[in-house]
Amino acid sequence: MVEPSLVLYGALYDRALGILDETLRETGARYALLIDRKGFVLAHKEALWAPKPPPLDSLATLVAGNAAATQALAKLLGEVRFQEVVHQGERMGLYVDEAGDHALLLLVFDENAPLGKVKLYGKRAAEALTQLAEEAIANPPKLNLDTQYREEAKALLDELFGN
Amino acid sequence: MSTINFANREINFKIVYYGPGLSGKTTNLKWIYGKIPEGRKGEMVSLATEDERTLFFDFLPLDLGEVKGFKTRFHLYTVPGQVFYNASRKLILRGVDGIVFVADSAPNRLRANAESMRNMRENLAEYGLKVEDIPVVLQVNKRDLPDALPVDMVQAVVDPEGRFPVFEAVATEGRGVFETLKEVSRLVLARVGSNA
Repeated sequence: MVEPSLVLYGALYDRALGILDETLRETGARYALLIDRKGFVLAHKEALWAPKPPPLDSLATLVAGNAAATQALAKLLGEVRFQEVVHQGERMGLYVDEAGDHALLLLVFDENAPLGKVKLYGKRAAEALTQLAEEAIANPPKLNLDTQYREEAKALLDELFGN
Repeated sequence: MSTINFANREINFKIVYYGPGLSGKTTNLKWIYGKIPEGRKGEMVSLATEDERTLFFDFLPLDLGEVKGFKTRFHLYTVPGQVFYNASRKLILRGVDGIVFVADSAPNRLRANAESMRNMRENLAEYGLKVEDIPVVLQVNKRDLPDALPVDMVQAVVDPEGRFPVFEAVATEGRGVFETLKEVSRLVLARVGSNA
């Protein structure tokens, strides 16, 4: 099966942001991200008080890679999937849960956020985002890009990589 | 397929560097990272063993710029080339938009090149993909080796039908690195609008 494109737009995107925002408030986490399984950020929210996050691309890529490896481990052991993954250091922690087959929820939290709350509200958010992701795949918006896009992109390739 | 973020007006593409162990995949990415100006690249992430062999993947995000109001970005990945790491190699191919196959010109790596290509076909098949479904560029690396095999000999075992564009390279010196990346990017972008 070719990986479907998960496209969030308009009302769906706003709903995703709303869920992430609410989860931040309920859990006390710093950052909440919805990412696809390829490691691209689809939507993200930061708590108002949170310091500047680490590079989101790197975060998303590593979490997606980690989730893929965890999934492969589950299959090796005859499980359909492993549930959420939590990493906890002395100060910072990560909560990762599946939002359906095509997306992941990532919460980054510090020592002030109770883990129980992170897991409880993280699980709820993941369920809500699962439904949202399914809607996004079922009704993808049309991308009306034409040859002009390709021509302009080609010019930028020349600029970046040389002629 | 590309990931489109309409809300942030971004189009993202995933390009994977594939090939046998020690053929120069990571070297390609390191060269690119070193040459692309700040502001057009993100942090390079390498998941490698202590002896600098790729364990899971290398990752480098690049910003092409804004095209028709869409910020266009490439995420470059390498796979671990060693045969042993196939389980993780397979994972990296998920959602791939374009592939650079980095082949080794050394005579004693001819067979490894062929096996890696066969492995790539098998791993793509697990995602329901054929090599014909995605843009692939063949980079024949290490052209500076004194006993480097002729390019057509490498091509004959990797791509006997001559389907992929071929670039000669010496990745340690940057020769052929940008040319290869530019071609695979061009091919990937050419598909936008037709089936994105």
